[in-house]
Amino acid sequence: MPTVTIDGKACPAQVGETILEVARRNGIWIPTLCHHAALEPYAACRLCVVEIDRGGWWQVVTSCNYPVRGDLTVRVQSERAIRDRQGVIQLMLARSPDSPELRELAARMGVFGTPYPKVTESQRNCILCGLCVRVCEERIGASAISLVGRGVERAVAAPFRLASEDCIGCGACAAICPVGTIVVRFHPTEVEISPFKTRVKLRRCARCGEPLASELAARAMAQRGGPTVVELLQDEVHCSRCKRKELAQELTATLPTPRYHEPAASGTDGQQRSVRRD
Amino acid sequence: MSTTTVRLESTRDLEALREELRKQRDPNAKQVRICLGTGCTAKGAIRVFERFQEAARQSDDATSVIGAKCTGCHGFCERGPIVVVDPGNLFYSNVKEEDVPEIWRESVIGGRLLERLLYQDEANGRVAKTPEEIPFYRAQQRVVLAMNGVIDPRSIDDYLVHGGYAALAKALDTMTPDQVIDEVTRSGLRGRGGGGFPTGKKWRSARDAHGEPRYVIANGDEGDPGAFMDRSLMEGCPHAVIEGMIIGAYAIGSTQGYIYVRNEYPLAVEHLTIAINQARELGLLGQNILGSGLDFDIRINRGGGAFVCGESTALMASLEGRPGEPRAKYIHTVESGLHGKPSLLNNVETWANIPAIILRGADWFASMGTAKSKGTKVFSLVGKVRHTGLVEVPMGMTLRQIIYDIGGGIRDGKRFKAVQTGGPSGGCIPAEYLDEPVDFDRLTELGSMMGSGGMIVMDEETCMPSVARYFIQFLKEESCGKCTPCREGIAQMLDILNRITRGKGRPDDLQSLRTLAELLEDTALCALGKTAAYPVLSTIRYFQEEYDAHIHERHCPAKVCAGMFRYVINEETCRGCGLCAKKCPIHGITGERKRPHVIDQVRCTHCGTCFEVCPFAGVMKV
Repeated sequence: MPTVTIDGKACPAQVGETILEVARRNGIWIPTLCHHAALEPYAACRLCVVEIDRGGWWQVVTSCNYPVRGDLTVRVQSERAIRDRQGVIQLMLARSPDSPELRELAARMGVFGTPYPKVTESQRNCILCGLCVRVCEERIGASAISLVGRGVERAVAAPFRLASEDCIGCGACAAICPVGTIVVRFHPTEVEISPFKTRVKLRRCARCGEPLASELAARAMAQRGGPTVVELLQDEVHCSRCKRKELAQELTATLPTPRYHEPAASGTDGQQRSVRRD
Repeated sequence: MSTTTVRLESTRDLEALREELRKQRDPNAKQVRICLGTGCTAKGAIRVFERFQEAARQSDDATSVIGAKCTGCHGFCERGPIVVVDPGNLFYSNVKEEDVPEIWRESVIGGRLLERLLYQDEANGRVAKTPEEIPFYRAQQRVVLAMNGVIDPRSIDDYLVHGGYAALAKALDTMTPDQVIDEVTRSGLRGRGGGGFPTGKKWRSARDAHGEPRYVIANGDEGDPGAFMDRSLMEGCPHAVIEGMIIGAYAIGSTQGYIYVRNEYPLAVEHLTIAINQARELGLLGQNILGSGLDFDIRINRGGGAFVCGESTALMASLEGRPGEPRAKYIHTVESGLHGKPSLLNNVETWANIPAIILRGADWFASMGTAKSKGTKVFSLVGKVRHTGLVEVPMGMTLRQIIYDIGGGIRDGKRFKAVQTGGPSGGCIPAEYLDEPVDFDRLTELGSMMGSGGMIVMDEETCMPSVARYFIQFLKEESCGKCTPCREGIAQMLDILNRITRGKGRPDDLQSLRTLAELLEDTALCALGKTAAYPVLSTIRYFQEEYDAHIHERHCPAKVCAGMFRYVINEETCRGCGLCAKKCPIHGITGERKRPHVIDQVRCTHCGTCFEVCPFAGVMKV
């Protein structure tokens, strides 16, 4: 079993693991932006760069996709690695100076501003990490959006920058977006994935009217199986809160009246639970 | 076009066919070779070729075989269209359609020289009959380009007559795959695409890698501004690339090859397609090649015009049908490349070197060049040099020899300032290093690189911050945008350089450029980003006083950056014709007729109109 020595700390590792995985397991923080455990490494944001010992010289590599093949000596907190990471986030801040999420991450990295002017335009702070595109392709299987254009013209969009025909309105892109570029908006009968202009039919709770899921996403999830999602295809679906209410009402109708003088198994908590009825 | 469609079953069949083809050739045949490379074609060579074909058809001279054939690029593109008459190897340049009857009558039939179309040395007025007598060719050593301009690239017969596929036969007949790799390793051949990685070492890794199938790929996505080495090779001698690839496939055990050519090279695609089909017909591609048991075929893929697709991982992504974006090479492409399988990718010129190495031996190849850079290298010599074109020289030749002996020095009697090598990621080398030998390591030490072989010569009227700005602008447009430092960092560098060349530079700008350069080199994903700062760094390194003049004095010493120098009228040369005053868009020039005029410096917008229109060179830049 190889040992990855990170800033002097010896960490046992498996062959094929990435430096980032080893570091995280051992409580060593390396900033990341385009990385997500559920997706293949992409190594585009370059925030996770560290130095590795190449025998006589140190190479700067991205920790999110550098595979461990044998013993490895890594420097996360070296002057050069810190300077490089800070330089990268400064460039990001120059692109998206108004993103609170980015500013928060920068502050955690010891960066409180950028020396660079804003020379590239970003769509709603988008930093082109590609998480949305990859989750749509790798996890959802829809490939509704992709990175279009080249260089500073690069952007996330559906084909021809029109509303996508393949989008199922699941909202995974919005959920994974680290800077809030992508937003799910609910309209009376439709769900909209903004800024991609896509609108898909929306299912609402038959009881309270809360938005539930897009029709297409519900169908796609049901196809993958699982008892909890199959009911999404029923004609009348209730939201989880309404379902809880219904269950509670059924239970209170059948259970005997609780006797308060007996000590509850879980103490005061149990008392509270048993008296709460609505 | 092959005269035979019989499939060759063994190397003996191949040699028999070669003998037969050679016997059919008349050594005394009268023949005109017309260059139909892209350069000559642009200057009307196709009409010239058609006129010669016509003349050959109508010829009633029964005493000898007469023909006209098209060839690939001769390299001396500046003088195109180029026509060579055999026997005698008479070299005619700048041939026009109307010259054809005269060449035919006098030179082809009559065997006489047509002096007015021969090359004449400007320096001593001497006339050169054959290419060997022209200074442009004299110092060259042609290995890779040996058959360019000699054979018809559309004819496999022609290639066979000139010894084509003999290296393949030798490898299949007498060498094991390991011996082939050893031979390439011993030759000292290094990748001609830019990186200079030892080719034999790469082949060895590809052979040792696990996984099937294995792929062999030729990188013909030549995108450097001003570079056309690979284009001329693919157009002029496509079979050499194919033969090299078949030998590579034999060495590493591959069954499928790809040639990735940029779509802007239609002629290269056409000639490669013809060549592949001819090789298939003869059984040099396909199942059981020459009875050796080797199965191998080649497909051509056309690129979509992205510069970054010349990067190996981006090229492979593009081959897979995905956007041409690079990925990390922490696991080398020889182990996991195309479709995650072992892939051997070499530049077109590297492949074209292979047949010669196998045929003539590693020792022969290693006898050319310097200690660590062997063989020859093709350069496209362009810019402010007198003779532009494609040159092939042994490694280690000095920059001075290439620029002055072959290129004929700087145009219009100007002074040499710098030579830019290595494409957009290369650097500018100043005059004090003109006597340095050109090899991989020395160019890197000088802050530039070999790259794929672009060589842009600059004279004293070139502004170095503007040169840096040009290349950074190019890279900004060609960055794929995947990784942050390349996408954002190059845009920031361009912003600074724009400022400097517009006279708004700040004292800390050079430091900012250096910081960005270091950041890009450390953190960018692929070589495009990592080396993007080289044009900036090398120009700062050798021409810092020019940057300082721009930033601190708001003055452009080369007088290129608008607004950073003044236009004044020279009282002695001005004849007072009034043309400048008439053309000045703001009416800022005054003066009596036949008297020296004066430019109103307060109102002048530095548009340069007066400078352009003055017939007496009376307007000066100061």
